[in-house]
Amino acid sequence: MLKIDNLHVRVAGKEILKGLSLEVKPGEVHAIMGPNGAGKSTLGYVLAGRAGYEVTRGTVEYDGANLLDLEPEARAAAGMFLAFQYPVEIPGVNNTYFLKAALNAQRKVRGEVELDSMQFLKMVREKLAVLHLKEDLLNRAVNAGFSGGEKKRNEVFQMALLEPRLAILDETDSGLDIDALKMVADGVNAMRGPDRAFVVITHYQRLLDYIVPDFVHVLADGRIVESGDASLALKLEEHGYAWIAQRKLADHPSLRQA
Amino acid sequence: MDGLLGEFGEGDALARAENWRYSRQTLRALEQLPFGMADGTSALPQALIERFDWPQTRGRRLVFVNGVLDAAHSDTRASGAMIDRTVDGACAIHFHGDDALHLVFANIPAAAPARWNAALHIRAESGRARLIEQHIGTEGTDVLGALTSDIAVDGGATLQTATLGDLPGSASLYRRTRITLGTGAGFDSTHALCGGRFQRFDIAADLAGEKAVLTARGVFALRGREHVDVHLDVRHAARDTLSDVSWRGVADGRARGILHGAITVAQGADGADARLHTRNLLLSPHAEIDAQPVLEIYADEVKAAHGATVGQLDERALFYLRSRGVPHAAARSLLIAGFCREAFERIDDADLSARLDSLLDAHMPQRADAGE
Repeated sequence: MLKIDNLHVRVAGKEILKGLSLEVKPGEVHAIMGPNGAGKSTLGYVLAGRAGYEVTRGTVEYDGANLLDLEPEARAAAGMFLAFQYPVEIPGVNNTYFLKAALNAQRKVRGEVELDSMQFLKMVREKLAVLHLKEDLLNRAVNAGFSGGEKKRNEVFQMALLEPRLAILDETDSGLDIDALKMVADGVNAMRGPDRAFVVITHYQRLLDYIVPDFVHVLADGRIVESGDASLALKLEEHGYAWIAQRKLADHPSLRQA
Repeated sequence: MDGLLGEFGEGDALARAENWRYSRQTLRALEQLPFGMADGTSALPQALIERFDWPQTRGRRLVFVNGVLDAAHSDTRASGAMIDRTVDGACAIHFHGDDALHLVFANIPAAAPARWNAALHIRAESGRARLIEQHIGTEGTDVLGALTSDIAVDGGATLQTATLGDLPGSASLYRRTRITLGTGAGFDSTHALCGGRFQRFDIAADLAGEKAVLTARGVFALRGREHVDVHLDVRHAARDTLSDVSWRGVADGRARGILHGAITVAQGADGADARLHTRNLLLSPHAEIDAQPVLEIYADEVKAAHGATVGQLDERALFYLRSRGVPHAAARSLLIAGFCREAFERIDDADLSARLDSLLDAHMPQRADAGE
C-alpha cells in the first residue's frame, strides 16, 4: 500500500529526514515513536503533501503510483488522511459545510455518487455518536474556539467520516486526558480492518495501550533506527530513547562519530 | 464646479481632494462618459426580479428602476412609505415606520450611458424598524446611480439597515447617508458590497443623544477591476455613546478597496466608547486595500480602540482543507468566504444571513482572475 524508500526531506534548507524507509501493508497498524525533533511530524506532512517539504532523494509509492506527484487533495481522494498534531482553526468556515465539500469532492474524483444533505447528515450523526461528540460541533466553525481535546476528537471524527484507507495520526494523543485518549483510540479501533492501514505517530507509549500496533518503529535523527513488535514500545517506555541511541552507537561506528 | 467631484465631494477643494484621494481617477474615468438621464420605464428582466423577490419581504417592498418607482413590482401602499419628487425631478422616499421596508434599486442600461438620482428620508420614531437596501442590475452600457439618505432615529427607537451591493460591472453607485441618533437610539447597519465598476459610500453618523449606540459591520469582496470606497465618519457628540465598527475587506485581481474610518469624540462626550476594527485580505499582487482608521478625541473620559490589518490567505488553513480532499480553488473560496462571513456572525436574522452568504458566494474571487 505505502512504500517509502530512502526518503530524504529538507525543510527550510535543513535536512530533516535522512534516508527513511518504511513499508505499510493493508490491515496493518504501524506506530512511529521517537524523540522530539526526530522528524516524526515531517513524515506526516510530506506524506500529506504540504508545501515547503522538499524531497531531495528517495521515493514514496502509494498503491504502486508515485505519491509525491499528487496534490494534497488528490492524495485525500486516493484514501490518505492526516490527523494533524495542531489542527488549524478556521473561523467563518462551517464544519458541516466543509466536511460535506470534502467528502463529496473525494467521491467525485473516485467516480462515486455525491451525497445529498440528508444522506450526509445521517452519516455524520452515526460517526458523532461513536466519538461521543455533540451535534453542536457541526454548526461551529472548523476548530474555532475548540479545546485541545475537542480539536483532536474532531480530527478523528473527520477520519471516521472520510473513511480513508491509509490514516496517519500525528501525535493525536498529545494534550489529551485519559478519557479523551480512550475515545480517540475507540474511534481508531472501530475503523481497523483488513483493507485499512494506520501510521500512528506518537511520543509516548500510553496511546499504544489502547491502539495496539502490529509494528513499532523508532525514528531518530531522520531515519528508522529500530523496528519491532508492540513490545518494543514497552521497552522504550522503560529505558527511554537514550537506550536506542546508545545501542545504535554500538552497532554503527559511523554514528558514533556523528 | 468640477464634474462629479464637485457634485459628490463635500467641503472645500482641499477636503475633497483628500477624501477622494483613492477614487479620483475612477471618478475622472466616469466623467468622460456622455451620460444622459436614465430611462425609468425600462422593463425588469425576470432574472433580476428573482433576485429581489424574497418571500420574507413580500408586501413590504419598493422597487426602483433607474431611480424611478416601478409600481408593478412595488407594494406602494402596503409598505407605508410615501414617494414624491424633489424639485429636480428625482424620487424622494419618505418612511416613518417601525416596520420593515425592502428597497430595491435596479440599474437597467439603455443604449447610451445613463444616470439616475434618488433620495431617502427615514425617521424611526419608536420600536424597531428594519430597512433592507439592495442594489442590483444588468450588464450593459454604464449606469451611474446616486442615492442620498438622511436618517433620524429618535430616542428609544432602533433602526437596523442592511445594504446589499450586488452590481454588474457596468454599474456605479454613489451612496451618501447622514444619520442622527437621539438619546438612547440604536442604529445597527450591515453592508455587503460586491461587484460594480465603482461604489462609493459616504456614511456620516452623529451620536447626538446620550447613550446612543451605533453598530456598523461590513464587508467588501472585490475582484477584477472592482473599486469600492467606503468613508465612515462617526461623531460622538453626547455622553456615554457607543460606536462599534468592524469591517472586512477582500481584494483580488486588480481590485481596489478603501475603508476610511474616522471617529471623533467631541468635547464633553465623556464616557464615549469607540471601537473600529478592520481586517483585510489581499489576494493578488495587483490588488490594493487602503484601511485608514482615524481617531480624534476631544473629551477626557473616553474608551477608544482601533486596529487595521492587511494580510494574505492562511497557507496552513488552505493546506488543511486540501488535505481533506477539497480542491485548491474551492478551498480558497471557502476560506475567503469564511473570512468575510465572520463579520456577519452576530446577525440574528436567519433569512438575511442566508442572503448575505449567497451574495458573498456569488462574488467569491475565482482562481482564474487571481493570477492577473
